[in-house]
Amino acid sequence: MNEQRRQILEMLAEGKITADEAERLIDAVGREQPEPPPGAALRPKSRPKYLRVLMVDNSAEEPSRVNIRVPLQLLRAGVRLASLIPPQALTRINAALDKSGVPIDLGQIKPQDIEEVIEQLDDVTVDIDDPDAKVQVFCE
Amino acid sequence: MIPRLVTLRYRRPDGRWRRLYVPVLPAALVLSPLLLLAVLAGLVACRVTKVSPVGALRCTGQLLWALTGTRIELEDSQTALLISVR
Repeated sequence: MNEQRRQILEMLAEGKITADEAERLIDAVGREQPEPPPGAALRPKSRPKYLRVLMVDNSAEEPSRVNIRVPLQLLRAGVRLASLIPPQALTRINAALDKSGVPIDLGQIKPQDIEEVIEQLDDVTVDIDDPDAKVQVFCE
Repeated sequence: MIPRLVTLRYRRPDGRWRRLYVPVLPAALVLSPLLLLAVLAGLVACRVTKVSPVGALRCTGQLLWALTGTRIELEDSQTALLISVR
């Protein structure tokens, strides 16, 4: 029961309004705020399925466009595949990444961590607007 | 869902489009002898690198299955390329 209906019923209980007036008021409140369809509140928010990258480069005479749609499932599968990298190769990859200025330990990336990242990706939107280029990264 | 059709579209500099539709299952059947060789080579590589062959096969399968829905469009002046996996 919403707050307005509760107030109307309280006014009726206190005798400030008659039953007919209360009925009319409740009808009016119902018209203003239509009830959500059944099950709408219980339905979970749909999870993003794809990562989308759009890029338009207008710096040249003829524009260049890139439009990439990658399933997020591919990200999950890639992380699982990365967990199969032999330890000696992992050490060398980590050293090479560190040397390139990306100090990431690939051994620390676990499938359960990537699940958390993917769940939060829904709210992430990268939008870069430049006179010569436009880049958009979002999930859909 | 398993990928069923890979579509390749390529626009040549003269503006003409080339289209190539690759049905995955028939193509895999035709190329099955080569795929078998690739699997054998993969198993040998797993043995050499001490990686679980079952895990590697499962992960490769998951990677291929996850490709469904991928779409890559590149367009640069006269040339354009579209790759779509359905």
